[in-house]
Amino acid sequence: MAPRSCWENSLADVLRLVVAERDELTANVARFVLRDLAGGPLPGYGGGAHITVSTPAGPRRSYSLVDAGADRPEQYTICVRRDQNGRGGSTSMHDDVHTGDVLEVGGPENNFPLEQAERYVFIAGGIGITPIRAMVAELRARGGAHIDVVYLSRSARDTAFLDEFSADGALLHHSSVHGRLDLWPYVAEPDDDARVYCCGPTALIDEVLALTMHWRPSRIHVEDFAGVDALGGRRVPFTAVWEPTGARVEVRSDRSLLTALRAEGVDVSSSCESGTCGTCRLRLVSGEADHRDLVLTQEERGEYVMPCVSRALSGALVVAPVSPHTHRAAPVS
Amino acid sequence: MNVMAMHVDGLFVYPVKGMSAQPLKQVSLTAGRAFPFDRTIALARPGGAYQPGMQHGISKREFFVLVAEARLAGLSTNLDPASGRHTVDVREHRVLDVDLSAEDGLAQLRTFYARVLDLPPGVEPLVAHDEGRRFTDTAHSSDRQMEFVSLINLATVRDLAGRVGREVDPLRFRGNIHLEGLAPWHEFSLIGREFTLGGVRMRGTKPTERCAATEVEPGTGQRDLPVPQLLAEHYGHEFMGIYAEVLSDGVVHDGAEIVLGELVG
Repeated sequence: MAPRSCWENSLADVLRLVVAERDELTANVARFVLRDLAGGPLPGYGGGAHITVSTPAGPRRSYSLVDAGADRPEQYTICVRRDQNGRGGSTSMHDDVHTGDVLEVGGPENNFPLEQAERYVFIAGGIGITPIRAMVAELRARGGAHIDVVYLSRSARDTAFLDEFSADGALLHHSSVHGRLDLWPYVAEPDDDARVYCCGPTALIDEVLALTMHWRPSRIHVEDFAGVDALGGRRVPFTAVWEPTGARVEVRSDRSLLTALRAEGVDVSSSCESGTCGTCRLRLVSGEADHRDLVLTQEERGEYVMPCVSRALSGALVVAPVSPHTHRAAPVS
Repeated sequence: MNVMAMHVDGLFVYPVKGMSAQPLKQVSLTAGRAFPFDRTIALARPGGAYQPGMQHGISKREFFVLVAEARLAGLSTNLDPASGRHTVDVREHRVLDVDLSAEDGLAQLRTFYARVLDLPPGVEPLVAHDEGRRFTDTAHSSDRQMEFVSLINLATVRDLAGRVGREVDPLRFRGNIHLEGLAPWHEFSLIGREFTLGGVRMRGTKPTERCAATEVEPGTGQRDLPVPQLLAEHYGHEFMGIYAEVLSDGVVHDGAEIVLGELVG
């Protein structure tokens, strides 16, 4: 199955799913298998995708799907780690959800898609194994790519899917036994034909990012589940349309709309690129923008957007030059 | 109250635009000129306005700079201008060691940064390095402004840090000279005024307007503090530090005393 692009999001339908199975993978990690009430196939997904569960206590939480993606899967399997210091979502899943219960679930979305490569380095920390398990399963089924998995956890008994990854040849490293693992050997040589995927605690993500600064950034994929960037804003990918030409621009989560437009050859002026000077102002033709600048008044926010910092709240943004006569084509850099 | 004498507390040169600060114990200054080797090399966008040998400054947008390429700050770079040796480290690991005075070294540099900047296949940055030119953000204003030196008042940075409740590394502001012993924001009283650093005469010229480059944590390459927005919210402007021009020749040592002259006019 070809990798399912994150741009092909399913409609994020609300599904009512029954908990067909529940078991405890470790003392703190529970696995839930969810099926359609009528037993039919569920909306398809690709490895890296997540569903959003309305937990019985109320909070909605996203969980990665741990099985290989499929077009018409029979079930969704998620693993939830109990987080004592969380805001109650995982606690509710652990304490309130039993086999036979029906849950409201938002259909699969993918902000962490598996992209084509000849070689993959997967680095998972703790419950970060969940999206990686799905990706590895897909790649194993497809064959062809060389895969290295580094699975970091505190101890063997905290490690969900321990036997499976051990048998598959992953490097399993338990920090309580061996301290911190030096990840440098896995990423020392930058390789344009390889991709590094990392999912786990923020400290692990930061470590992997720091150690791969000499790589092409597009080959490094990280997911820390928070979905929040260091500046405090949610960073998910979205689609933009440049109205004068109709060009569709995919804005990755690690890029600004401004950068993405320029990469497509659209020449937008800028200066501060931090939402304070107003130079890059564009007309917001349609779409719901997540305004993060300091320039536009509330009224102006209905008509304009600052592409250097602002993103889409949902759906796509259609943008255009402020004046129809200011657009000029620029060479693609 | 202990009144600290005003003095220089840090000297830095940035031989390659956008890359790591290189601390100095002293700097030999010439009237009308910025720090030797400061921003004398830059990576220019191919197919843009930069042409080798051009004799006027252009917008910083024509170069690969921190405001757009935060990633550059995740590399520890060093250029020895005398030998041309350029090294790049990722954490404590050396990932590049080339001689820029040799064509092969330049070629390896271009390949390395084409990858780091994720340029399309076959596209590489141009290495801008022209006699008598420096690629400062002020260069496109005029050749005189191209040669301005940048100053940071460490007390002002601390004032921002205190208001924001976060540590703020003064090297975010990529200044040449760090000043200590001034009250916060008093560096602005140096604008239009002569002063001496260890005997070298200088005059403040204009405040430095901040861009998204200051959002980048030196060392991690991650944008983790919305500095321009914080400046705007706390102070109503986006300035941090000032530019100054060098008026006399001489050597400034780290730790040199600052003496203020009369206000001009």
